[in-house]
Amino acid sequence: MSFQLTLVTQEKSLLTEVVDFVQAKGVEGEFGVLTGHTPFLTLLDVGEFIVRKGESTYAYFVAGGIVEVLPHQVTVLADILEREDEIDAGRAEKARNNAEKALKEPMAEDTRVLYQQAYRRASVRLRLVARRSAPGGNIQTPPGTGPN
Amino acid sequence: MASLRSIRTRIKSVKNTRQITKAMEMVASAKMRRAQQRVLDTRPYADRIHEILVRMGTRSSFSTHPYFQVKPVKKVGIVLVSTDRGLCGPINSNLFRSILKFMGERPEVEFEFVTIGKKGRDFVRRSGRKLVGVVDGVKDRGPITEILPATQVVIEEFADKGEWQEVWIFYTQFISIMSQKPMMERILPIKPEHLQPKEGAELSGEYLYEPDDSREILDVLLPRYFETIIFQRVLENFASEYSARMVAMKNATTNAKEVIYGLTLTYNKLRQANITKEISEISSGAEAIQQG
Repeated sequence: MSFQLTLVTQEKSLLTEVVDFVQAKGVEGEFGVLTGHTPFLTLLDVGEFIVRKGESTYAYFVAGGIVEVLPHQVTVLADILEREDEIDAGRAEKARNNAEKALKEPMAEDTRVLYQQAYRRASVRLRLVARRSAPGGNIQTPPGTGPN
Repeated sequence: MASLRSIRTRIKSVKNTRQITKAMEMVASAKMRRAQQRVLDTRPYADRIHEILVRMGTRSSFSTHPYFQVKPVKKVGIVLVSTDRGLCGPINSNLFRSILKFMGERPEVEFEFVTIGKKGRDFVRRSGRKLVGVVDGVKDRGPITEILPATQVVIEEFADKGEWQEVWIFYTQFISIMSQKPMMERILPIKPEHLQPKEGAELSGEYLYEPDDSREILDVLLPRYFETIIFQRVLENFASEYSARMVAMKNATTNAKEVIYGLTLTYNKLRQANITKEISEISSGAEAIQQG
């Protein structure tokens, strides 16, 4: 049993494909979707987005946006969406170190929130990258268009 | 009468100009195709978010959300999308003329501006209207984040402070390479009839909301909807800019060719006249010697 998955950002459409299962991190926790799910709408948190199709599993990095789940269709309107192999590990690492260092200093509350968000985004990106390079990692290069 | 040398210099300089306008024409045409492609790329998101809003709208009423509030209009915000650079034909001046006309028709309201593009910013400054937000240097292949400062100002003035009761966007619509049209659209308050389901659209059962207040989801969806609308207009304006520039530069190249043709003709005539004069001088000199 499979359903239609659409991944889009404001700039372009990344993927339209028939898949078996997706897992995402909403603001109220992680959830998985199989065909025939109750229709619901939720907001996305920063996290991994996992897609399973047949024997293959793909991972994406997602930060913010909306997911619409219908019984035979899932639509992800993401603010930031990167294919797992598109993630720039060097940049993420730098961003995490920067944020980590900055967070040790005293600062205004809203600046702190920005740094915390940056820190979380970088950590999730790095986690995805680490899994890719780990031996026995079964995550495959996901489909979808590459960078411009 | 111009000397041979001065004509030669002019021909050279016009040839240089022709080379430049030719290059600009080709660059503009390549950029135009890319800009058109980017406009198309934003459609899926816009269509999807529209579908979701339509499905939500059939159940929850939008009427309480600030983005839909229709109030008596005292102040209107205008998002003015123009180009950063000139040499692109009349598209900016046509757009500004349509704004002046629009403002002339509503003398009782005040107008304030958010501009995307330097030409529009200069126009607003010249006209002495209030400029509350300026974004320039947006790149044609840049991410949507480049225009977000403009949308933030709009949301602040309209929804948070309630300063503006209506927001309009002015930009140049791309119709074809030969034709671009100044456009104006009211983007806020959102007209609920825009979110009516199309006939035959599939509407399936109730949504569950997570967080379970649909208002919170609307608070995320609507700004995105609205950002996408502005982003699309900005990209479309790029397509218009490049096609207008392409045509303007093509005309300039053709003109340069004509000027070169005319100058070359004059040059050759003058050269011939000079030679004839010289020969007749020599032959009359020789004749004088023989007779002497």
